[in-house]
Amino acid sequence: MSEVSPSNQELRDWDALARAAGDRRDSSDSVGEAHRLLSFELAGAPYAVPVERVREIVRMRPVTPVPRTPEEIRGVISLRGEMIELIDLRRRLGLGSIEPSRRTRIIVVKTGDDEVVGLLVDAVREVLRISDEVIQPATGSDTGAVNDLCTFRGEFVSIIELDRVLTLDG
Amino acid sequence: MAPRESRSRSGRKADQEFVSEAEEILERMREDYADLDDQRAAGGEVDPDLINRLFRSAHSLKALAGMFGLESIQDLAHHLEDILDGLRLGRVSMDSPCVGLIDEAIHTFANLLESVGNEEALAAFNEPVEDLATRIAASAKQAAAAGDELQSLDIDSSLLRALTEYEEHRLRENIQRGRHIMLVGSTFEIMSFDEGLSELSDSIRAIGEVLSTLPAPGETPESQIRFSLLVASDLSLAELTEALDFPDADVRSVREGTPAVEVISAPSERDSASPVPVAPELESLRSISETVRVDIRKLDELMNLVGELVIQRASIGDIAARLLAKPQSAQVGVELSKIHKSLDRKLKGIQSAVLEVRMVPMRQVFDKVSRVVRSLRRDLQKDVRLEVSGADTELDKLIVEELVDPLMHIVRNAIDHGIEPVEERRAAGKDAQGCIKINAFQRGNHVVISVSEDGRGIDRAALFARAQSLGLVSAETELTDRETLNLIFSPGLSTQSEVSETSGRGVGMDVVRENVMALGGAVEVESIPNRGTTISMTLPITLAIIQSLIVAVGKHRFAIPINAVHETLLIDASEIQRSEGREILDLRGDALLLRSLAKEFELDVSRSSEKQFAVIVGLGEQRIGLLVDRLDGQQDTVIKPIQGPVKNVRGFAGATELGDQDAVLVVDVSSLVEDTLSKKEGA
Repeated sequence: MSEVSPSNQELRDWDALARAAGDRRDSSDSVGEAHRLLSFELAGAPYAVPVERVREIVRMRPVTPVPRTPEEIRGVISLRGEMIELIDLRRRLGLGSIEPSRRTRIIVVKTGDDEVVGLLVDAVREVLRISDEVIQPATGSDTGAVNDLCTFRGEFVSIIELDRVLTLDG
Repeated sequence: MAPRESRSRSGRKADQEFVSEAEEILERMREDYADLDDQRAAGGEVDPDLINRLFRSAHSLKALAGMFGLESIQDLAHHLEDILDGLRLGRVSMDSPCVGLIDEAIHTFANLLESVGNEEALAAFNEPVEDLATRIAASAKQAAAAGDELQSLDIDSSLLRALTEYEEHRLRENIQRGRHIMLVGSTFEIMSFDEGLSELSDSIRAIGEVLSTLPAPGETPESQIRFSLLVASDLSLAELTEALDFPDADVRSVREGTPAVEVISAPSERDSASPVPVAPELESLRSISETVRVDIRKLDELMNLVGELVIQRASIGDIAARLLAKPQSAQVGVELSKIHKSLDRKLKGIQSAVLEVRMVPMRQVFDKVSRVVRSLRRDLQKDVRLEVSGADTELDKLIVEELVDPLMHIVRNAIDHGIEPVEERRAAGKDAQGCIKINAFQRGNHVVISVSEDGRGIDRAALFARAQSLGLVSAETELTDRETLNLIFSPGLSTQSEVSETSGRGVGMDVVRENVMALGGAVEVESIPNRGTTISMTLPITLAIIQSLIVAVGKHRFAIPINAVHETLLIDASEIQRSEGREILDLRGDALLLRSLAKEFELDVSRSSEKQFAVIVGLGEQRIGLLVDRLDGQQDTVIKPIQGPVKNVRGFAGATELGDQDAVLVVDVSSLVEDTLSKKEGA
């Protein structure tokens, strides 16, 4: 009870990531249209979502399973009194579920209709600033969840199609 | 829940409500009249919107006074409405002395308002009010000279005939002012014509006045629609065409304007020239009522905050208990738990105060219903009387709002389908006049609103046949009487084969039931052939903060709103009987259907004990028993909707936070009861 409350700690994480991205701004490439992406890990590989869709990043917390929902919905979490669904992004992308670890995070993203939803990821990495030139179409995505790849530090980062991922059919 | 207040206080509350609302209207009227007087004194044109606003204010005041049964105010407002309508439509000239009467009427209203609630004082006003009303009526009678300049317009007479009285007046007014009158035509795609049309109107309004918008006949492809806008402007045809940045529009002149004469008036002159109206007696500027009108959303915010405080209070209680349990921290624990107790009391105070503020009497809705009944009686030519009781029963404002449509629908149905034509009633030996009774009363934490009529009753056979033709049931389906009646709540079902103007607007009883269930309530129907039908809605008093029973199945916890819980029983597995695979409990002689939450929600739990709890739940008359492993006590809960892609999971009304970060699902009792009772065999 005496330590800093988790939400403050988490806000600080998020601030630090955003600031770090701002600092890198001039050092790295700044040709063409720049995108800011939040990168994270799933099964050892890097993925990313647009920063403007991210409301906050929080640590793992108690999850209440909801009966009668698809298995990708891990359950409901309470976020300062708000009740939001938690999507297991591993299951959603067909990567198989794992037990949460110390690095597990919940990325709270905005849905189209003024709501938020939690995405469970293995770990959060950093905020990337990338230009259009380094984005290329991804081919052969089974779930339709990834349409684009971008290269960053010699690595392919898969950009998640949030609107596709947040639509669960039955 | 705080006890409901007595009838007399409700009456006073209604008066206060009237006074505060009426004062607001009156305040607006004073301002508008002052502006009107200024404009008139300046010798300029009076803004038509100003008169429209005054007219609407008088109209609202009349309606309001009518709702609260204040005849003297209603009468006066009615006469005032007449003058303003005359001014609005140009039948009465702005120079007429009757304009001064508006001011007098406003003052009289103010005096009347001060006496609301005091019958004697109100009666004392009868004479002056009547006198004023007579003068207003006499003054309004003066005929307006109507020159027929409209005939000289280069315009199709069918178009002129389509103008409303008000539009015609605006046209005359603009002609008198010497403005150019033009017809602007344009063709739009049907799919998006509203956008295009409002764009065009907006750009015209910047440079003139749109007198009327009329669909124009003519050669247009199927997918397009043509409109003509009658426009008045100081700009000439050429200037307007130039200024109107709308390539598709064509403009033609209907009447050439006459060059406007600049009227120059120095403001200092008119100030001294116009007599300042002096109030007959000094009016107190202090507002009489001590009530404030508040946006319901602000109350919601307040309620949410209180809800969160209530949850945090529970966490403080937990911490205090933990401290108390350890010897080394017991002292601090005692102090904290004292603070917790005092916080608890104060929070309860705030909570009930906020809840009280949200409460409104059903009267408002019932008044609307009685207006609907009056107009339906006329439209359907059915002789029906309405009896209302329990109008003082109070409900959360939000629930009342949501209730209006379902209630209207039920009442329309009752008059349209329920009450028979006079001949049929006579033949059945009934009173020729049909009767509809609406009753509201409180039952525990619920309010029950029932609508009864003494009509023909629901024809079960016809209902069943209709359901069968819709494929809802098959010919072999055997239904109990209640199940048959409940068919009226099926989507797409209407007992009368022809859809009538009154009740057949694409919404049926299924929508009523959905709306009521969304409020956490239930709808039930009872019907006796040839005696009539009763539809009852059972609703929670408030949605804001509710007590819930926390139950556990294995490691899963659920909250059940306490207002839906009738009792809890500890039962032994041996007491559970079976019929057709369904589990039944003998509850004091009645067979009660049981439903295991573990099975219902497919929870993986290992059965360890032979003992289980049956939570008897139900809204309205229907009951079932929910089997759970443990009862974890009662808690205040704020039910929040669940955000995310999977919407409206059946069986759950939302989720709530218990203690620290613990989300618990709130069971939707009405859907569970419904599913259990409609299932033929246990899952």
